[in-house]
Amino acid sequence: MTPEEITAFEAKVQAYVGGEVSAPRTGKDDVNKAMIRHWAEVMGDENPVYTDEAFAATSAKHGIIAPPTMLLTWAMEGYSMAQTPAPDAKLDVQRELHAIFDAHGFTGVLGTNTRTEFYRDLRPGDQITSHQTIDSISERKNTARGVGYFVETVNTFTDQTGAKVGRQVFRVLKFQPNVATAEAKAATSDDAMPAAPARIQAPRGHDNAWWWEAIDAGKLLIQRCKQCGTLRHPPRPMCGVCNSTEWDSIESSLEGEVFSFTELSYPKFPGYPYPLVCGLIQLSEGTRLVANIVGCEADKVYIGMKVKGKVERVDDKTVLPNFYPA
Amino acid sequence: MVAKIADKAAIVGIGATEFSKDSGRSELSLAAEAVKKALDDCGLKPSDVDGMVTFTIDQNEEVDVARAIGCEDLKFYSRIPYGGGAATGTLLQAAMAVATGVAEVVVCYRALNGRSGQRYSDGVSGNLITGSAIHYGWYMPFGLLTPASWVAMFTQRYMHQTGCTQDALFEVAHSTRQYALNNPAAFFYQRPFDRAEYDTAKKICAPLKLFDCCQESDGGCAVVVTTPQRAKDLRQPGVLINGVANCLAKDQEEMTSFYRPEIARIPEMDIAAKEAYAQCGLRPDDIDAAVIYDAFSPIVLWQLESWGFCNYGEAEAFVKAGNLRPGGRLPTNTHGGQLSEAYIHGVNGIMEAVRLVRGTSVNQPKKTVNHALVTSGVGVPTGGAILGRMA
Amino acid sequence: MNKTTRRFASVAVGEKLPPLTIPLTAGLIIGGAIVSRDFTPVHHDKKAAQAVGLPDVFMNILTSNGLMGRYVTDWAGPECTLKAIDVKLGAPNLPGFIMTISGEVKSRDEAAGTVDIAVSGDNNVWGTHMSGSVRVALPKEA
Ligand SMILES: [Zn+2]
Repeated sequence: MTPEEITAFEAKVQAYVGGEVSAPRTGKDDVNKAMIRHWAEVMGDENPVYTDEAFAATSAKHGIIAPPTMLLTWAMEGYSMAQTPAPDAKLDVQRELHAIFDAHGFTGVLGTNTRTEFYRDLRPGDQITSHQTIDSISERKNTARGVGYFVETVNTFTDQTGAKVGRQVFRVLKFQPNVATAEAKAATSDDAMPAAPARIQAPRGHDNAWWWEAIDAGKLLIQRCKQCGTLRHPPRPMCGVCNSTEWDSIESSLEGEVFSFTELSYPKFPGYPYPLVCGLIQLSEGTRLVANIVGCEADKVYIGMKVKGKVERVDDKTVLPNFYPA
Repeated sequence: MVAKIADKAAIVGIGATEFSKDSGRSELSLAAEAVKKALDDCGLKPSDVDGMVTFTIDQNEEVDVARAIGCEDLKFYSRIPYGGGAATGTLLQAAMAVATGVAEVVVCYRALNGRSGQRYSDGVSGNLITGSAIHYGWYMPFGLLTPASWVAMFTQRYMHQTGCTQDALFEVAHSTRQYALNNPAAFFYQRPFDRAEYDTAKKICAPLKLFDCCQESDGGCAVVVTTPQRAKDLRQPGVLINGVANCLAKDQEEMTSFYRPEIARIPEMDIAAKEAYAQCGLRPDDIDAAVIYDAFSPIVLWQLESWGFCNYGEAEAFVKAGNLRPGGRLPTNTHGGQLSEAYIHGVNGIMEAVRLVRGTSVNQPKKTVNHALVTSGVGVPTGGAILGRMA
Repeated sequence: MNKTTRRFASVAVGEKLPPLTIPLTAGLIIGGAIVSRDFTPVHHDKKAAQAVGLPDVFMNILTSNGLMGRYVTDWAGPECTLKAIDVKLGAPNLPGFIMTISGEVKSRDEAAGTVDIAVSGDNNVWGTHMSGSVRVALPKEA
């Protein structure tokens, strides 16, 4: 699109902001026990106030209530929403807006945020009506999925008396699917199911492969200068004390203490188990290494804590020394 | 032997782009704009430039920047490694070139899409080049992957050794955000911030919380360095480089110097400070204001000790006495720092130190600033520069 | 599920909720879309999901919302009242992934008798699927 086309397009979609999406829509079903039960089964939600009449009756809820997060469900259009409308069909405002986005290549749609407030519990027999307006359309954004616009709609929900029972804001990204990646992925899709990753592996080179191979074999080794006996970690090709390049190694007793540590909270990387604590371990032999501290709560770790290591498999690809409270 | 570099070069121009979370343009376009603005600031033309310095991690080739802004012939180009540790290292290169006559007008620049492009908080991954990969291989399998995690390891130890508390980290985080309230270029411009927000914010890597971490940013900054003689004829008052030093200290690693007898200190900065003071004969008492590299709040504390504003382990008391605040002993990061203005790898900090000496900071201290300190990143080989007024 | 309800006074800021691990089956993803009456094809039709660049059907936001609500009410107990829920989606949830939900009490409102819980749902392949906060009212007296 040229800058002029973008401006014209943006003016066209911005005109929808503030408008009602459609006439208020009353749910096809009132709040009912069957739909509540179907929901609870799929969500694995065993809360007895949703499904256990006897429990609910004697609880502070005084009877069955619907899971609050079902709020929008009670006013959803249902199956017809996803069918292609007849060419001459009168579109509601949201569909009309989406059709304009689609026509300009912004065919992707992705819910990104939702914020809901609940004003009261809903009970079987309640009849829910949704009043939806388009609240805002963002400026053009580059996102990981492609270029697009965030469209925010607000739903206000009322009951059979007209009283407000809740409000839900929805943020949806309308985007141009990143064609190259979409096609590439779709083409190989049946084999493209991503698998759970292992931890990031340490690359192995001349100076460190032997150390990691020993770990794979269950041993934590420490490099030792053959000439002066100085221990060193991480391994390197020359002794900084006497400059000898001759070395061998000793096996660590895996006894040590915590010299420093941190709990890694954010960001979380796929392949790593959180909560996760990294310690700088002072081994009894005198060298230090970084390794995970496991087998105790993160907030129980302290500097000076005695630990005992164990070389063990942590995922399909990785063997590491882990340190436990001694 | 002390380097004879004091007052042999002056910063005459500064320039920056807008700081944003999504610049929507190339890093080269940011670099070119920043360099052009720095030249405009002092009234020099691209054809006056005969030297360029940047960071090894900068993606903008000297040839591209030179052609973009229309330079003539360059006689000097040089780069400094180790991320933010390079910030004032660029000044050392420029000052040496100018002092020796290798070049007369040297531009130091850094431009990055640090938020919309490659983010530093994404950490290291398996796709690294050899030497670096082997190095980070000692940390990646354990999940110690991000700058925050490496700095956290030192911070935990520092707090243990000195008794420093979270209050000191908060004071650094809060004082910069108070300064940023007045800086329209800052992400925290007019944005309120208090202890409750600090305490309840997301934990990053204990003890670091969200507001202990800098703003990942898109933007570019540049400064122009030339001889004091030439500086006299330019549009802005020149700011002398009184002292500037870099150091890679014994047993240094890139961000993970975990194997020294004690890790709760930063010897590379101690040594650079000693060298910079020796070059110009100034002492900590002579420094009136500072821009101290703040990718994370605790690293400011350690540098206050390195540069002699307080003794080792006393930084908490120093900051809690209000010394970093307006009217304090050492107004620090008066632009909001990288915690609250933007993270342009410390070059925005050099610009603010120049403003402090010129007297044009948005938070200009009431007292006369004869000398301002500006420092580079911590955890890597690093250094700092002392800037001062021209006679 | 726990049939007793937590009291407001017994909850402290900083308290961590026990993590909940949910294997994500096609049944849960498609079923979640259907019980929320969301018939958008990408949530039940693999070909439609592939056309937008994902290898398989992915969880709709209403299911994520429902699971986040369930996670907190499981912990709080049946007589709690959900007041608000704010969900931000990250990486998609696909069949075969495993999601672990964790949470922590961030604040308490003494007057309203509500607590705010920060919740994160992380899948084992792509990382954080959802993050957000849930406000729940707890009974004050036993
Ligand atoms: Zn030796």
